[in-house]
Amino acid sequence: MAIKLIFSILILVFLQSCDQDNHIRTYQLAKTKAADTKPRFEVPEKQSTGFNWTKPASWIPSFGSSMRLASFDVPFSNGTGDLSVIQLGGTGGGIEANVNRWRRQLNLEPQSLSEIKREMIENKGGLGFYNVIRITNEELGSAFLCAILPAGNQTLFVKLSADPKGIHEIETDFISFCSSLIISI
Amino acid sequence: MRIKDIINFLKQPKIFVFAIIWMMMLVVLGTLAQKDMGLYTAQNRYFSAWITWFWFVPMPGGRLTLVIILINLSFFFFKKSIWKIKKLGIVILHLGGILLLVGGGLTAMFSSEGNMVIEEGAQSNHVEDYHFMELAIINTSAVNFDEFTIFDQPLLKRNQVLAHANLNFEIEILNYLENCEPTKRTSPAGIQYKGMLKNFILNELKPEKEDNWNRPGMIYKISNSGTNADGMYGIFLGQSISQTVSVNDKDYTIILRRKRTYLPFSIELLDFKKILHPGTDIPKSYSSDINLIENGVVRKILIQMNEPLRHKGYTFFQSSFIEGPNSETTVLAVVKNYGRLFPYISSIIMCIGLLFHLSQKLPDLFRKSKEKIAV
Repeated sequence: MAIKLIFSILILVFLQSCDQDNHIRTYQLAKTKAADTKPRFEVPEKQSTGFNWTKPASWIPSFGSSMRLASFDVPFSNGTGDLSVIQLGGTGGGIEANVNRWRRQLNLEPQSLSEIKREMIENKGGLGFYNVIRITNEELGSAFLCAILPAGNQTLFVKLSADPKGIHEIETDFISFCSSLIISI
Repeated sequence: MRIKDIINFLKQPKIFVFAIIWMMMLVVLGTLAQKDMGLYTAQNRYFSAWITWFWFVPMPGGRLTLVIILINLSFFFFKKSIWKIKKLGIVILHLGGILLLVGGGLTAMFSSEGNMVIEEGAQSNHVEDYHFMELAIINTSAVNFDEFTIFDQPLLKRNQVLAHANLNFEIEILNYLENCEPTKRTSPAGIQYKGMLKNFILNELKPEKEDNWNRPGMIYKISNSGTNADGMYGIFLGQSISQTVSVNDKDYTIILRRKRTYLPFSIELLDFKKILHPGTDIPKSYSSDINLIENGVVRKILIQMNEPLRHKGYTFFQSSFIEGPNSETTVLAVVKNYGRLFPYISSIIMCIGLLFHLSQKLPDLFRKSKEKIAV
């Protein structure tokens, strides 16, 4: 009698466990805003470099040259970008010299300072105002997204190297990363 | 005869006694196990399970034990001897106990919990589950809307083929990783690898003690698209750039994310405030100034510690926050619990039962003590 009862209860438990839901749902939503799919950022990282920053969770620290303060592999839909942070004393050679150095790396003609400034976008972050410039060579299929951040008596240069589509995809994260840079206390 | 036997067996008080002793043991074992295996796993293994395995020995899990107690308490009402005014207190007490267990059952089966993350100035209308993932395939080709096809966590397992009429291709899951880490490839990838897998591999990691510390990932193959989108792809939770594929002029975005539940209203974060104890980093209070937006009607509400917002069955607790470079982000713990009121109601009923029983027994007790004194 008791065995039958226990057996019946076990069958009931087994039947309850049978999941009949097919676990597929479909729905339509109005076009998502950028904020909806915005990636999560990790907590600010305390660095020994004199600067702190907050990076997107998917950026992976990598090993760059000893010149670099930090390096990251930055995944995008069709590959990986390389992001470097370099710190130089004073103005580090200035905007014109650095932007033209990057342009030469992409086989592009140098530009005058006024031309460069026209293409620059000003942002504000933890280190104050800084400039961002996008340098693209479509024929080569390469592009740089660069930020120049004055930080007291030194300058930080953040450079992201990827293909033009990747630069476009990563731009929001790049700006957030640059804005998160602060001097560590 | 048989039914009578069953009733007699099920109403035995010793079932309740053994079950409650076993439940107490499970509570102790689960509490000890939680230290090593984490809260969520211990909860699932000891309390939410029908059967708990101790090595190779199956034992009743917390859920089965509570069902046995519920059945036993219910069959108590088959006793003819209880239907007297003298036993009314006991009957009420049992009713309260049954109600408590029914409430627990409703909570276990239908409640959901997750969190809502809102940046200052932004709005959200969905809750993200703490534990379950979903694979969202979003057809972004239409101008005004996105079409979502969602595959829930139970389907996300090795060798599972995911297909739906909305999709012009099939996805075969080659491997589902509970916890993983993307690592850069050291040698060039084969031509079958697409997207992130061209440059990265997903390294499987040992699952973390706390389930929500894991970063799940998945290696999958797109096939039968009839285009060069066919190939092997990788995806992981928190991937900042989602995988996109184009098949027959339709653009699809593929995201592995925490399971989302959409709400019939939105919450906009106006301001997040954090007050620390003077001279310390210890928070004194957090609060979120929000707008509750429903059918175009905006209502301003303050959510703070110990003062949650309750709306349409959902409770929003101030849980945490993220400090960003330019703005702050609030994290609200969201709970929908259909059995929320049951513990209160059943406790009141059990108190009434106890008082009733006591009020009936007290005169007898007084009389007996007087008789003893007299003797």
